[in-house]
Amino acid sequence: MSEERARILGMLAEGKITAAEAETLLDALASTIEESTAATPGPAPASDWPTGPSASGTPKFMYVKVTGKDKVDVKVPLALLRAGLKLTSLIPPQAMDQINESMGEAGMSIDFNNLKPEDIEEIIASLREMEVNVQASDGNHVRVFCA
Amino acid sequence: MILPPLVIDVRVKEAGTRGFRIWFPFVLLWPLLLVIVGFALIVALLVDAALCLSGARYHHYSLLLLKSLHLLAEVRGTHAHVVGSDSLVDVDIY
Repeated sequence: MSEERARILGMLAEGKITAAEAETLLDALASTIEESTAATPGPAPASDWPTGPSASGTPKFMYVKVTGKDKVDVKVPLALLRAGLKLTSLIPPQAMDQINESMGEAGMSIDFNNLKPEDIEEIIASLREMEVNVQASDGNHVRVFCA
Repeated sequence: MILPPLVIDVRVKEAGTRGFRIWFPFVLLWPLLLVIVGFALIVALLVDAALCLSGARYHHYSLLLLKSLHLLAEVRGTHAHVVGSDSLVDVDIY
């Protein structure tokens, strides 16, 4: 826990400030972090990323966005997924059997031996139409889509 | 041509701290990576040749190695930006 955050919580515990005041201070603290980090040079901000699935063409990236209490922006190239799926066809059979067994135990009965190169391209192309929207009970909104 | 990552940029900041930023030029590791992969590829080719001659069904270790390198290269373009209540983490791979 940071020094400022601990100090605010300490003031709240001592009764020097109310819970509402503590919340305001903590919010201000969080926005200060974001502003100071945004001022440092870095990549294009996540606000420039697409806000939904692309209407046409092959998707290039998978986006995971969480808004609400926490803020998460993740962008993963779909070429990584493609390369990973192609790699599975080259994994030694003994190792692949173990992977399939472990995945089966975890409740994901996917047999990667059945994946063919043409299936991989079809999966990637179909991802354009995929969109996952989850409204969590803690107020966070999770979106997963490809564009 | 598909190349491995050039730079890995990691920024971590917590409230009340200066935070830190690691701007790691992965490109400097390319020569070392080239030597390791070159050596591993020779070994894998010899193993594959031996397996093929012995009649084993699986003899694709050299391909597996090359595809693994391809997977590493495709990591380029990954970005992660996480803002918590009192911390911020940014990871960018170029």
